[in-house]
Amino acid sequence: MEEVSKFKVASSALDAELARLDPDHDRPREVIATKGLNLKFSDKTVLSGVNMNFERGTITALIGPTGSGKSTFLRTINRMNDRVAGFRHEGDVLLDGESIWGDQQDLLTIRRRVGMLFQRPNPFPMSIRDNVVAGVKAHGIARGKQLDVVAEMRLTEVGLWDAVKDRLGDSPYRLSGGQQQLLCLARALAVGPEVLLLDEPTSALDPISTEAVERMLRAMTPALTLIVVTHNLGQARRISDQTMFFFNGQLVEHGATSQVFQNPREIDTERYVQGLMG
Amino acid sequence: MSMTESLSHGTSWRRVKSVIFRAFTLLALVFVLGPAIWLIVGVVVKAVPHWSWGVLTHVPSGNGGGLENAILGTLVIMVGVLIIAGTTGVLAGVFLSEFTGVNRKGRERGTILRTGIDVLAGFPSIVLGYVGYVALVVGLHWGFSLLAALIILSLMVVPYITKATETALRQVPTSYREGAEALGMRTGYGLRKVVLRTALPGIVTGLLIAESITVGETAPLLYTAGVTNNLPNWHLVHHPIGYLTYYVWTDWNQPLASLHYISYDASLILLVMVLSLLIVSRLVVARSQRHSEAAR
Ligand SMILES: Nc1ncnc2c1ncn2[C@@H]1O[C@H](COP(=O)(O)OP(=O)(O)OP(=O)(O)O)[C@@H](O)[C@H]1O
Ligand SMILES: [Mg+2]
Repeated sequence: MEEVSKFKVASSALDAELARLDPDHDRPREVIATKGLNLKFSDKTVLSGVNMNFERGTITALIGPTGSGKSTFLRTINRMNDRVAGFRHEGDVLLDGESIWGDQQDLLTIRRRVGMLFQRPNPFPMSIRDNVVAGVKAHGIARGKQLDVVAEMRLTEVGLWDAVKDRLGDSPYRLSGGQQQLLCLARALAVGPEVLLLDEPTSALDPISTEAVERMLRAMTPALTLIVVTHNLGQARRISDQTMFFFNGQLVEHGATSQVFQNPREIDTERYVQGLMG
Repeated sequence: MSMTESLSHGTSWRRVKSVIFRAFTLLALVFVLGPAIWLIVGVVVKAVPHWSWGVLTHVPSGNGGGLENAILGTLVIMVGVLIIAGTTGVLAGVFLSEFTGVNRKGRERGTILRTGIDVLAGFPSIVLGYVGYVALVVGLHWGFSLLAALIILSLMVVPYITKATETALRQVPTSYREGAEALGMRTGYGLRKVVLRTALPGIVTGLLIAESITVGETAPLLYTAGVTNNLPNWHLVHHPIGYLTYYVWTDWNQPLASLHYISYDASLILLVMVLSLLIVSRLVVARSQRHSEAAR
């Protein structure tokens, strides 16, 4: 009896110690949080009143009919919309508890910490290797021989190394669409982001490539936090921990993915996840 | 008319249209290529039989001599224009394509620059040359000089470079810019490493046109560079400079056969210069585009 309680005490002390050693221990659990976020183009409101927390190490799926503001929401999080003509925001987006529009925030650092993968693969017009290390070079993270190491590491990570190791100096446009998307993923991962925003990352890919990308995304948590826009409800269900449903300029419903798909609280959500809407 | 009849009528008419269209394309090709070939063959046939390499190493003297001064002069002018007009033109093009847009008051920025460039492009070269003569050669007391020639020629060709650069940059896909932006590249960095690289063929084409115009110009040079049989020196002002087109024109109007040969030699050398320019620029483009989307 005594033995057991002694063990308990020791283990809780150990837990506390481990928690203290966790590099993220004094950071907020939600890596991204939006507070009363309203997004507009000129005077047209695209989204209003979005309050949402994105917990570290989770995958969130953003679903909703076309034009419901998913991309706009996503592109706000790494401030890609800032320079778009007519874009305005109210409310706030917090990255680790600090506003992304705060005075002491550096835009380039935000973009490094919050990476993005686009709907269409968009490799740069340079060799495969240079593509992977483009961001690393821009941020001065590595140089010279280190770049080769980074390239190999990231390409291996996305499962592309064996396919391209003999043609690193080749044009990226000779790769298949799926391989190009994986290359872009490697490029995004190379700068060491904490959050990755993905806007319909597999909509241009065949089922096999899609599966490869999905597997990759699952493997990237809990090291990374992912926010994925998708029209593929099966994909949302397969990969995400929580789901957000946008409709009519609102975040209609959000919750654990299983709940949103199996017991939706709102009638619109139910109609959408059952495929009865657009 | 029955259904099948009207259909076959439609098909044959379409065939006729396609034949006519093809004929016109061919005609256009002949119209462009014909004179070019005629010109090249004409110059080569007249120049080659009398060709002597001494032309490259002697300055004009009496009723003969060579063209060394003019060859070097033309090269110096080309390099000068490339530096002055090339930098200003490309920078103006980058500005117009990347940094304009609408300002806070809702007005398009860069309008003044764009208008100025359009006006400049509409100036006849001889007028520009005369302006250079009045303002620089006489007004600033520069005399006939390299600098006056470079400034006037640069003004002349800058619009072509600016337009070509702006157009080429505007055709770069948004996805490249957004990709660079999303990786956290600085605007200028992304521009250099990703966007300009993609736009390079268009920019080089603009530079090529500008240089070809520079090589072929005479009127504005007569007003600004003057002419001399001496080799070019490093003085920017107070020293006239020779160039090939001057000898093409003047020597051909002389009654002496020896001077006619010089005139044809000068033409041949100009041709070789323009063709090498073309080849070099194509090589540069091909090398820089080996990873481009188009080259796959
Ligand atoms: N740059 C812009 N200027 C003006 N309006 C815009 C702009 N971008 C998007 N919009 C508008 O904002 C609304 C939301 O667009 P958004 O692209 O976010 O939708 P989405 O949910 O991503 O749609 P999809 O599923 O088709 O990608 C649309 O009505 C769209 O017309
Ligand atoms: Mg979208």
